[in-house]
Formats: sequence, structure tokens, C-alpha cells
Amino acid sequence: MSEKKTMVRFFTIADFEEEELWLRRQHRMGWKLSSVAPPCFFTFERCPPEDMIYRLDFKNGETDDEYFQLFRDYGWEDFDQYAGWIYFRKPAAEAESEADGELFSDGLSKVEMVKKIVLTRMLPLLVIFLCCLLPSWLRMFDGGIFNVLSYVLYALVLFYIWLLVYCGVKLTRLRKKYEEK
Amino acid sequence: MDKRIQRIYVPMTESGFYILFCLRQPQHGYGISQQVRRMTGGALTISAGTMYGTLSKMEADGLIAFVREEDKRKLYQITPLGAEILDLELRRIERLYRNSRGEICDE
Repeated sequence: MSEKKTMVRFFTIADFEEEELWLRRQHRMGWKLSSVAPPCFFTFERCPPEDMIYRLDFKNGETDDEYFQLFRDYGWEDFDQYAGWIYFRKPAAEAESEADGELFSDGLSKVEMVKKIVLTRMLPLLVIFLCCLLPSWLRMFDGGIFNVLSYVLYALVLFYIWLLVYCGVKLTRLRKKYEEK
Repeated sequence: MDKRIQRIYVPMTESGFYILFCLRQPQHGYGISQQVRRMTGGALTISAGTMYGTLSKMEADGLIAFVREEDKRKLYQITPLGAEILDLELRRIERLYRNSRGEICDE
């Protein structure tokens, strides 16, 4: 039985570039990612240290055999899927060029990915916030109810606002960066 | 021809052009990327995600069509509509080239 470790790390839907780098650093230290579990548990397995490029593609379930075959042809190992994300890795030594170490060779297809994240993750988040969370919090506030539940709700509202602003700003910035490519 | 398709694809991205150009013969995604690398002397690499995305979009827009499957790989080929678009794009590139040489194109 090989040695294992589980780490807790929270990445928002806009932090995939940081996540890729973090996983690469772990692999360089001799820990290869074996699985991701909700909400933010990363399980690693001991392995010989290697410079391994990690890449995430957001497909939201829209994959087929052709998709995985194509990525395997390109030398990418797909080893896990989590919350719409596909996890790929490839030894840096095998990447013949910079583009060969990327999932996307033009900014346009990266912009498409960001658009998909906004449409299928950000918008539902916003709808839940505006239609469920905010009205029930306002109702509680109006009714002058202050109990444990109202504080939980209060914290949740604050967390949601932070999440929406943070992801919104970051995704917009990423989109701009990719558009300039 | 559908003006919308023409607006989207002319002018084309470099990756889009090479993919469509290579599909004058039946070919699968990775085969196209290898061929492009050879043709351009390694100057252009089309990554997996970009390849998959472009093929899906071109198939949905009717520029290319699925021909058959080989070892779990889908082979595509250009359609008459795709050929028409490619022709428009080639004429545009030719005009650019001739103009850059100081020639006047009066067609």
C-alpha cells in the first residue's frame, strides 16, 4: 500500500491557474494527485519527484470518448474529474513546445472556457443569491429575528457576496488576459 | 451562402485555417496537429483543447463532417460549404500577399 496524504484547499471556480501550479509543485515534491473530493479534499499518493504539468479543462459534463482519445493522443493523462473539471497531467519533459504544455493554443478557446464557467457556474450562483438567499435574509431582518439561524444566514450572505465579487472580477481579468493573447 | 457563417469564418484564425485546409483529406484531430507541425516547421502547434473545440464548432456549422471511426478516433472531412469558405479565405490571403508585393488586385 503506497503512502497517501489528504490536503484541504479551497479553490474557487476562478482559481484554476493557481490550482494547476499548486498541483505541479506537489508533484515536484513527490506527491501526485490521485483524486479530488467535495468540497475541497485533495488526495495525493507518494511518487518519485517529477516536473509534471497539470492542466484543468472545464467541460461541465460535455465530454465523449473522442474528447479523451484526442487528449491521450496529445500525451495527456486524464486521471480525475470533479465538479465539471477534467484533470490532466503531462511530464514537462514531454512537452515539445510551450503550446504543447497547454490545453489551448489560442486565447480564443480559453475565452470560450471562461464564458462557459460564467454561464454554468456564476449565473446559477447569482440566481440562488438573488432569489433565495437575499430575500430570506431580508425577511428575517425585517421581522427582527435574531437567532443562530439569522447569523448563519448573515455569514452566508457575506460569503456569497465575497465569492461573487471575487470570481466576477477574477474571471473578467482572465478573459481580458486571454483576449490579448 | 449563409452570411452568418461567412462572417464567423472569414477571416479565419490561423488554427482554424490549417484545420480546414488539412481536412481536404479525411483526418482525425491528432493527425491534423502532426500534419500542421510538419507543414509549418513547428511554428504552429494546435493544442488538444483548441483542436477539439474547433472541430466541434466546425462540425456544428457544417464546414466539416464526420466520415468514419478508426481506433476510437473520429475522422472528419471538409464539406462543400467548408470548401466554399476555404476558397474565400484562400482568395483573401492571396490578395493580402499580392498587395504586400505592391500588386493591385482588380478582380
